[in-house]
Amino acid sequence: MDQQLLAKTFVELADNLVADFDLIDFLRLLTDRCVSMLDASAAGVLLADRDGKLRVMAASDEQVRLLELFQLQNDEGPCLECFRTGAPVIVHDLTREIDRWPRFATAAHRSGFGAVQALPMRLRDETVGALNLFRAAPGPFDPPATLVAQALADVATISLLQQRTAHRSTVLNEQLQTALNSRVLIEQAKGKLAERQGIDMEQAFSALRAYARSHNRRLADVARAFVDDTESLAGLGS
Amino acid sequence: MLVAEQAARRGVRVGVVDVCTAAVAALPVGGAGLSAMSRTARSHPLCSTDNISEQLEELQLTLGEGPCVDAFLQGSAVLTPDLLARELQDRWMVFAEAALEAGARSVFALPLQMGAISPGVLDLYARVPVRLTAEELADALAFADLATLMLLDARIDETGRPRGDPAEDLGAYRAEIDQAAGILTVQLGIGIDEAFVRLRAHAYAQGRRLAPVAADVVARRLRLSPDAGPDHSDEEP
Repeated sequence: MDQQLLAKTFVELADNLVADFDLIDFLRLLTDRCVSMLDASAAGVLLADRDGKLRVMAASDEQVRLLELFQLQNDEGPCLECFRTGAPVIVHDLTREIDRWPRFATAAHRSGFGAVQALPMRLRDETVGALNLFRAAPGPFDPPATLVAQALADVATISLLQQRTAHRSTVLNEQLQTALNSRVLIEQAKGKLAERQGIDMEQAFSALRAYARSHNRRLADVARAFVDDTESLAGLGS
Repeated sequence: MLVAEQAARRGVRVGVVDVCTAAVAALPVGGAGLSAMSRTARSHPLCSTDNISEQLEELQLTLGEGPCVDAFLQGSAVLTPDLLARELQDRWMVFAEAALEAGARSVFALPLQMGAISPGVLDLYARVPVRLTAEELADALAFADLATLMLLDARIDETGRPRGDPAEDLGAYRAEIDQAAGILTVQLGIGIDEAFVRLRAHAYAQGRRLAPVAADVVARRLRLSPDAGPDHSDEEP
């Protein structure tokens, strides 16, 4: 693992945690860095909602196919096991796990992934979600890389508490609720923008994110304004 | 389920008032009220379980201030364990005084929302200072979620289209459901609230679950058109 890249990444994450914090943007950054640093082809952050369903909070790629791979894990898969046990789940060869996870292993393999890890997002005694890493090539994961991945999962967990809720709540339930609702806003905006401009979900997400960054606004706020049509957002075709 | 019991007692199908009475039964609160809120149209109270909650709903809408208004505008729960707390008096001076006079000491306002869909607010009050535990807050949020779906369903009734099942599990394959609603706002030229309602109505009319229908919309296998009823769509075989 590139030590310089590792150091640079942690500085970057720390910077983004403090100034003008935007949870969705931050978690996208985190998943992107997992891909560039950790020998992963794709990464996602999943959070459990009140009913214990795993919901996608961020992914290194917003394509629908990848999203499905994350959501499939509500029924079976490394993230579900990781969430239930609170322990990492590491699989070197997905083709050997067809019995263990028939639907997930097949779908992941078909999407071109050979190996997968899920690291628990833990806060005190609770597991609130998982960091999911996919790699194209089967084979073992580098132990230092897994250590760093766990550290990144911990950073993702802490970032949840950085959200600014109406009264600076540290109550986990409220933080989760706010995070999940922000994600719903973004999905609604992605759908609307993708349909309006005839682009795919990743392009729609990128456009929303670029707008938010260049106007120094939170992604969720831009998403809401776009869905509600309460502002004219030049460049988003509204 | 608690809410269904409440409706059974009334001898009718489940409505938003049952969510309110169930919330009062389940939580350390004295009463609950629900208001339909909108940024463009007039907000108005929908139901309340007792006189005090009725007064609280009226107060907030008349005064245009209070935890309920803030919760709606900010999109997050506003929990005030004690209306007598000093810093609050500066925030909602008129409301706090009036609410205390009406008999409320703590007020909890939970926005009903699914992303940009935000049809209203659920307000809970207690006569004494109350701090909700994490579990109680989770329950309150669950009641708010249920009320959200019911309020939206009520709109389906108005248009005469079939209802969805308010208890339907929206959790697992959620992203496509939200994306599909966004897509429908463009395909049908309507707001996000109505788009979601139309999506559910279509699924129900077809006898299908919501998630697969949403997946079809996102994959463009299914397009809905504006001049059609719920049974008309351009569906690929």
